[in-house]
Amino acid sequence: MLQVRDGTGETLGVLFERYHASLYNFYTKLTGDRALSEDLVQEVFLRILRHRQTFRDGTPFRAWIYQIARNARIDHFRKSRPQVPFEPEMAPTVSPGDPAQQRQESELLHKALMGLPEEKRELLVLCRFQELPYEDVARLVGCGVSTVKVRIHRAMQELREIFHQLQAAPAGSAQRAAAQNIPPRRMT
Amino acid sequence: MKCEEIAELLPDYLHEGLAAERKSVVERHLESCVECREVAGLWKKLALIPDEQPSAASRQRFEAMLQAYQTGRGDEGTSRRVNRETSIWNVFQWLRSPVGAVAWSIALVALGTFVGLQVGNTKSNSQDLAAMHTELTNMRQMVALSMLQQQSASQRLEGVSWTRREEHLDPQVLSALMHTLRYDASVDVRLAALDALSRHAGQPQVKKTVVDALQEQQSPLVQVALIDQLVEWRDTDAAAGLAKLRQLPNVNPTVRQRADWAISKLN
Repeated sequence: MLQVRDGTGETLGVLFERYHASLYNFYTKLTGDRALSEDLVQEVFLRILRHRQTFRDGTPFRAWIYQIARNARIDHFRKSRPQVPFEPEMAPTVSPGDPAQQRQESELLHKALMGLPEEKRELLVLCRFQELPYEDVARLVGCGVSTVKVRIHRAMQELREIFHQLQAAPAGSAQRAAAQNIPPRRMT
Repeated sequence: MKCEEIAELLPDYLHEGLAAERKSVVERHLESCVECREVAGLWKKLALIPDEQPSAASRQRFEAMLQAYQTGRGDEGTSRRVNRETSIWNVFQWLRSPVGAVAWSIALVALGTFVGLQVGNTKSNSQDLAAMHTELTNMRQMVALSMLQQQSASQRLEGVSWTRREEHLDPQVLSALMHTLRYDASVDVRLAALDALSRHAGQPQVKKTVVDALQEQQSPLVQVALIDQLVEWRDTDAAAGLAKLRQLPNVNPTVRQRADWAISKLN
């Protein structure tokens, strides 16, 4: 990253190799929209080029890139209407060899995740899927580490409730819950 | 142990960050508590949601953007590297230059003010402080103006950052900043100038300069930044300029795509 900051544009290609798939998954799990996720990934790398001078030696790079990713998404939703609900075509792409029950469970989990309020979903995506340390997540969302842990626990409890509801009545609940999504406030 | 107490440990347990002793405490609780056990089970089950692969078009778009950036950047990289190697010498030279001298003056005035306030504390009144503040503001703007005219891109960049320290810019400094946005040789300096100008959208000339710059710029990176700024300002008057830009024969595809997106946002 220091090379990118100091003007070696080619090095950005290495960062793209390393991070674009995980950023894409960060966005797909948050927004449920593949095309938008690809747009936002491009936006992140454009912002890295534009704001590379703000990167400081010693800053954890993953935390910095996810800060950019969060801001890009928040700015996007600030400029346009709040997001589409969960798209049916965003059902997980499970490989053909997976048992039917596992596939169904995976779909329900994804729907349950999309049914969480945006802020809780983001915390789970950052901690569970992006595997960011709680310290980095705390810095990103602007609160203490213990607060992050408590929020994670609450998010998981809510996810469990939604998951149970979906198991009982799979069709309606997820869409109702997904319709409640609200983008989080921008952290600077 | 109660669920409330486990709540603090469970996230660390799920992240496999607990020492053996605490881990066994959590595991004992999970054996007896259905709710927490389900939460832990659900955390593991989340792995069932598979990762997705971005499309091949994603990489192509990135490469087009990077190429556009490098085209706009030209051979600045070489000169920047040379600059960096001599940066310490440059700082020393700068301190000896007239601009450096002004900066030193500001530092000394500020120090003098502080010492004066500390020594003769009760004599200063708010009028004196206000006058001092105005004087400091004027001097800072003078430094910014001088630095914007320096040969070295890094010094001009520094000049742009000086302008960010002021809420209200002197017309002369504002004009220099707009000139920098349109004509500076360095992409980085032009981008920084745009960033600084974004705070002064209330000034009538600023928006017009950004629209005019759109037609003049050769760097796709700067063009995209200008387009984004116009969308940020919701400047509906810019739609005509954007339409003109996208019809230019040599416009970069990424820029054209961005202009289309901006037109759809502004209309």
